[in-house]
Amino acid sequence: MSHMLTKKLPPVQSILFLVTRRASHLSKQRYDVIVVGGGHAGTEAAAAAARVGAETLLVTQKIHTIGALSCNPSLGGVGKGHLVREVDALDGLCGRAGDWAGIHFSILNRRKGPAVWGPRAQLDRQRYREFIQAELLSTPRLMVLEGSVEKLLVTDPNPEEPGSHRVTGIHLANGSHPISASSVVLTTGTFLSGSLFMGQTTSPGGRIGDAPSSTGLSETLRERLGLRVGRLRTGTPPRILKDSVDLSLAKLHPPDTHPAPFSFMNTHTRCKPEEQLPCYLTYTTPGVERVVRESLHLNCHIHQDTKGPRYCPSIESRVLRFPGRSHQVWLEPEGMTSDLFYPQGLSMTMTPDVQLRLIREIPAMHRAEIHTPGYGVQYDYVCPTQLSPALQVKNTQGLFLAGQINGTTGYEEAAAQGLWAGVNAARWALSRPLVALSRTESYIGVLIDDLVSRGVKEPYRMFTSRAEFRTSLRPDNADLRLTLKGFEVGCVSSVRHDVALRVKSSLQDAIASLQALTLSTNRWRKKLPGISVSESKSSMLSGMELLQYKDVSYEILASVFPECLSPYMELSQRLKIEAVYKPHCDLSKREIERIQKEENMSLPQDIDYFTLPVSLSQEVREILDRFRPSTLGAATRLEGMTPAAVVTLFNYVHLTGRKERMVNRNEADNEEEREEDLCSRNAPLPQ
Amino acid sequence: MYYSAKLLPVSAVCGGIYRAAIRRLQTRNIPLYRRLPFGDGVLAGLVDADTIFALSSGQGRCGVSVVRISGPAATTALRCMVGFRNHLPPPRTALLRSITDPHSKEVLDRGLVLWFPAPHSFTGEDSVEFHIHGGPAVITGVLQALGSVPGMRPAEAGEFTRRAFHAGKLDLTEVEGLGDLIHAETEAQRRQALRQMSGHLGRLYQDWSQRLKRSLAHVEAFIDFSEDELIEEGVLAQVDISVCDLQTEIKQHLKDERRGERLRSGVHVVIAGATNAGKSSLLNTLCQRPAAIVSPIAGTTRDVVETALDIGGFPVLLSDTAGLRDSPDVVEQEGVRRARERVQQADLTLVVVDSTTLPSEVQQAAAFLLEHLGGVLSSQEQPETGRCLLVLNKTDLIPEAQREQLTLGLRGVCGLPPVCLISCQTNEGLMDFLTVLQSSVKALCGDPLTGAPTLTQARHRSHLQQCVMALAQYRRYRDTDLALAAEGVRLALTGLGRITGRVGAEEILDIIFKDFCIGK
Repeated sequence: MSHMLTKKLPPVQSILFLVTRRASHLSKQRYDVIVVGGGHAGTEAAAAAARVGAETLLVTQKIHTIGALSCNPSLGGVGKGHLVREVDALDGLCGRAGDWAGIHFSILNRRKGPAVWGPRAQLDRQRYREFIQAELLSTPRLMVLEGSVEKLLVTDPNPEEPGSHRVTGIHLANGSHPISASSVVLTTGTFLSGSLFMGQTTSPGGRIGDAPSSTGLSETLRERLGLRVGRLRTGTPPRILKDSVDLSLAKLHPPDTHPAPFSFMNTHTRCKPEEQLPCYLTYTTPGVERVVRESLHLNCHIHQDTKGPRYCPSIESRVLRFPGRSHQVWLEPEGMTSDLFYPQGLSMTMTPDVQLRLIREIPAMHRAEIHTPGYGVQYDYVCPTQLSPALQVKNTQGLFLAGQINGTTGYEEAAAQGLWAGVNAARWALSRPLVALSRTESYIGVLIDDLVSRGVKEPYRMFTSRAEFRTSLRPDNADLRLTLKGFEVGCVSSVRHDVALRVKSSLQDAIASLQALTLSTNRWRKKLPGISVSESKSSMLSGMELLQYKDVSYEILASVFPECLSPYMELSQRLKIEAVYKPHCDLSKREIERIQKEENMSLPQDIDYFTLPVSLSQEVREILDRFRPSTLGAATRLEGMTPAAVVTLFNYVHLTGRKERMVNRNEADNEEEREEDLCSRNAPLPQ
Repeated sequence: MYYSAKLLPVSAVCGGIYRAAIRRLQTRNIPLYRRLPFGDGVLAGLVDADTIFALSSGQGRCGVSVVRISGPAATTALRCMVGFRNHLPPPRTALLRSITDPHSKEVLDRGLVLWFPAPHSFTGEDSVEFHIHGGPAVITGVLQALGSVPGMRPAEAGEFTRRAFHAGKLDLTEVEGLGDLIHAETEAQRRQALRQMSGHLGRLYQDWSQRLKRSLAHVEAFIDFSEDELIEEGVLAQVDISVCDLQTEIKQHLKDERRGERLRSGVHVVIAGATNAGKSSLLNTLCQRPAAIVSPIAGTTRDVVETALDIGGFPVLLSDTAGLRDSPDVVEQEGVRRARERVQQADLTLVVVDSTTLPSEVQQAAAFLLEHLGGVLSSQEQPETGRCLLVLNKTDLIPEAQREQLTLGLRGVCGLPPVCLISCQTNEGLMDFLTVLQSSVKALCGDPLTGAPTLTQARHRSHLQQCVMALAQYRRYRDTDLALAAEGVRLALTGLGRITGRVGAEEILDIIFKDFCIGK
């Protein structure tokens, strides 16, 4: 029985009371880490920082909206589900929150191979918020404060390192004095200079019903730190009253009969299989297209040049880009007791009366009523190439960014970055070296590497096709890939670590047993008469190889050899997957090792590429100067880099590295009293 | 440091060539090469356990060619091609042996075989050298035979040197020149590949690459989007057909013994410049016969006129091209396009300038020539040393004094290649020009980097074979595991991408969004 299910959540009212009471007398203190924002990125960042051991303060405009699902009531999916599993493997919140709040679970891509399975769930908004708030409340070393950040406090650049600022804390809008901290994580989502669009009216803000954030923060980033900032847009659909929808005209979409939990710590979900709610599928009609076209002149959001997501376009963009087609609309429940539907695919920004006319063109919604109209949001993002793989702003020590502020879209992408920024913010504050995840070991690594080394031109969403090593980075093995590493960097509890260790050794034992089980094909045929073993008569096959066969399951093998295989029955599905993928993972192993080797060669951040006394073309110098890759691996992936340039850089780093090491050794001999924390702060990203 | 030098002059020459190349390249300025020629990492050679082979002697008038093999499977070559079944030959000793095809057992050549066990070799790995006869047929035969040995593949640019570097076999100055050396090899391979890719073969590879990209995009779309979107199984059925067709076509191509047009070996020298500068006259002067029509009318030459020549004993393929100018005439436009293409592919470009068009003041003339050179070579960068000669023609039409000023004043101007003043009318200055040309050709010819066409062909074959194998993986897993099936298409595209250029994830996503209405 999982520990989560036995836990009783305190009622929300008392949570609020407790949090605010605890927050009321804190503002004088100094913290290790301050996290600004209480969305998916902010909550993961704050919880992770506290887990690593930092005294952490989470500042949010409204404590009540911590853990709110601003847009769709769902979590996971193809690619996104991978991120949820990885966040969970690093002891993050969203996987367990999803298991607690899920009311409709399904694994997408079930027929397409375990590497691309997409665990997904519809969520109960209320329950999700409850879980996140309760979890934050019970996290030691974490405080929550209601307030609006007026200013980010940074030092003047160090004269010896031009352009290098250091964060010292924040100033609240109504606060009389600043709150100081070693690290600050900004997770402002759509609130950074956010404006809301509906029809022809615009108003400042990041989410409807919430106060706009102060302009001071945006100014500090732009004016004081000189960060390049861009603008993106997104939108959300109107919410529909459930009772007003004619469900007989929509297609019922049931959940999986055996809901699979997101978290490695849970064996089942809170919601019982039979309690799950269905979704409904319906389609747009030519009438929808007509309404969009007729009202275009009344819609200023759609006329803007700002880039919106290509994969979550508003109904306006869809109709304009692919005219004459019928588009899918999913009606998703918003909660166990909610009386609303979320119409996935109908994000729109017209005036409310046009929105009503539009949805009523869809047969199932011909009498539908809108509870809250849809709207568009435009917001600032900081070009993420200005960040290191630890998500620290390169020119400002101690400042970390995560979530939509880095140009991504989606809860899962935000949570993943938040967690990793939180880990590094805490490590920075505690004078431990910063850490990076490789794209060879995780989707989080792919996400962050894509952001910091290539930047974004439109809101970035995770797809499995972005991961080169998709067959190794599977949802089923996220714990093996990340939990042990997470324990080393400090963000994984010993409870979870022990579980992962146990799973790992059981898997190894089971695989060893399977490999030891080597028989001739003839004997296999006798043991398993139902299976057509195609290899020639004389060859020997191990149990592991036999398990690669389509119709051989671990259960079948265990029934024939119960004495050596039955102890591992609970891992049967994972063993089957390991067996099928092993030959392919072995093939990519060498490539993975090579990339990791290149990623371990860090490039100094203060190189002046224009005067570097090596043979590099002007164009390559410009590319290097613009992107300032942190490692040789990142440099290799830059568009426009040449093999020769990479080798030249490699030589340079190799040689200067050797010289520096020699110098350092001499210095260490001379002045042994050098402060330890200086060393670790200057340390490159660890291996 | 090349201990083999003591025992064997030929090996010493090879090491010498590499060293000379490195030294020469240290001063070079590097233009940008936009696309990595290999899909994967650049330092692959540093950790790769593959066994690589390459022709490491130059082309043209060589009695002996050296084929080098390095890596763990080097001994396999000795076992299956030279007949050392049960024992290996004594290390570092030249033995005269028959070299046979591992499959057909046909004798390819009789030559010297040398075995250098690790770590005492140029690369520090197990290495084998075949010293064979220099004819193209023999070289092609041996390279193709090597390509068919399991675990063996043609070397990428600079790979031997990189392995030597990794094994600590290069000294510091050599290491500093390594980037430049690799650049030069990459460039040489690129020029060679461009020549092969500009014709029918190029169109074929590009077409395959396009189709493969589209197939991959559609499989990826089906994986990343289908369940919530309107992407139906029909998409996969199309991919099935496309993959099946590609597999058959590439297999057929690999079987086809007509390898397209025979690629002529030799240094590719291209004459380029403005109209009426006297390019065709230069060609005629050089080949001592009226191979090209010359007239005082600008735009006389419209197509590329190609002649095979022997300059100082080295094979040269000399091309005369249309004068570069904007012309409303479509035929001439095509001629100019072809001219520019040739310049891109050339090993050596002779830029011909009508000296009567030069400003009389030397510094202005230098500035004029620099700008003109940029226009002809269509690059912002300065031309690499040894890749370009500036020929000032029609010197009989300018005053003696100006001629002398130019000769003295243009020598050693920064950014200008060697300058020769000639008159194709009176043959004045021709002997000096020939001396300069001959030394340039000699330098290029003796350089293994200039790249033999056969090696490029061997490389292409090996990538295409990978591609076919990877496509088989798609078909094997199509119904059971689409992730593994897609992996097959990805690998196939990586293989083909090594010929046509790397394909990134964003490019695939772009196709997905162009082809599908996706909205989740």
